[in-house]
Amino acid sequence: MTAPAPATTRHDKVPYRGWTTLLALGVPAAIIATTTGLAMSWRHDLPDPIAVHWGLNGPDGFGSLTTSIVWPAVAGSVVASLLWALGFFAGRQSFTRRGAAALAVWFTILLSGVSIGGLSVQRGVADARDAGSIDGVILVTFLVATAAAGIVTRLIPGDPPLPTSEPVSPTAARLKLGRGEDASWVRDVTSPGYFLAIGGVVLTVALVGLLGGQWWFALVLGVTIGLSLVAFLHWTVIVDRDGLTVRSILRRPCFRIPLNEVEMAEVVEVRPLREFGGWGIRSGMTGGRMGVVVRKGPALQVHRTGGRVFLVTVDDAATGAALLNTLAGRTRG
Amino acid sequence: MLFRIDPSGTEPLAAQLARQIRSAAARGELTPGMRLPSARDVADSLGVNLHTVLRAYQDVRDEGLIDLRRGRGAVMTSAARDVRRLREAVDHVVAVAHDLGVSPTTTLSLMKEALQ
Repeated sequence: MTAPAPATTRHDKVPYRGWTTLLALGVPAAIIATTTGLAMSWRHDLPDPIAVHWGLNGPDGFGSLTTSIVWPAVAGSVVASLLWALGFFAGRQSFTRRGAAALAVWFTILLSGVSIGGLSVQRGVADARDAGSIDGVILVTFLVATAAAGIVTRLIPGDPPLPTSEPVSPTAARLKLGRGEDASWVRDVTSPGYFLAIGGVVLTVALVGLLGGQWWFALVLGVTIGLSLVAFLHWTVIVDRDGLTVRSILRRPCFRIPLNEVEMAEVVEVRPLREFGGWGIRSGMTGGRMGVVVRKGPALQVHRTGGRVFLVTVDDAATGAALLNTLAGRTRG
Repeated sequence: MLFRIDPSGTEPLAAQLARQIRSAAARGELTPGMRLPSARDVADSLGVNLHTVLRAYQDVRDEGLIDLRRGRGAVMTSAARDVRRLREAVDHVVAVAHDLGVSPTTTLSLMKEALQ
């Protein structure tokens, strides 16, 4: 009844490269081209030199128009190209593709937006020292960039289903279950640095607010960073008939590996800095491997079809891995 | 926390779940201060009614094994440690009975007598 599994080499290819190229390379290129063109068309209305940096009391750094056009264009192109390469060559998991494209768009909008916004407040001004404040520009650019990144995340397709009928590795640990018995394993994991990180955010907001007097900006910044910290450092890990679910306490992001895509689950020791360059949702450059890494130590690692590897740092990972192997085994003839 | 259920078994599902929380505490897997997963997550995951899980949690709460607080979830109390110590004492009794070749029936009747 079961058709022979298609050659795995086909599965090992990175999916949806067109979407990745369009959103991680095409959109940033369009943004950079538009803002560069706009800046060029304004060159007769701008003072010389122009303001390129603002302090608390207005413009305090000045430079040439060329520099302020060229540098965001170059920096944006380089960063977007690197992120596109990450998504194009190592984007076997949707998170990598989404993250790469979203970050590319976010970064280029932020860079180009602040640059073009900084120029817009100087149009028709004879002396750059009289240019107005750019607080509003920064705030609006930040919000637009974040919203655009959110849209990009939605546009990039998820992973196509890649079920396997191969048996789970016989050497992998199992958990004994009775015939009629059903089981689930639920475990919360919180980063030990959680409260430290939240404290850091509160302190930053207070400092930016007190020193800069820009409470609005401080608050938006604080809420954004605070929410991402909560979302990325506190997770619920579930193994049940739906497979492995790793869900942020805010319910998003949420990763799910269905049982029919589990090749084998095991326990590994993770060193966040050495293997993933930090904490949070991390993607390895070597392709395939990604993880929810909130602390050092044991992690539940799943070898998934399509050459993908997913891991989550969690206590008692041995029980979770054994149950996952057992439940996955039940789905194979 | 690992939960197993056997829907075809004679024991009610809530009782099955409560028993597993008790024995996890006895084995030292659930220690004071640890949090049980949210009842909703457990119910969704096992495909059972939320009230079944809440019933199990209430049962072990009535035994003093967990605290149920709105917003904080189900937290193991110091009673978890007591259950663990008692379990160790029971293990000791069982080991001695085994060494002496005393039958489980005799051991059990001695225990029952001592408990009265």
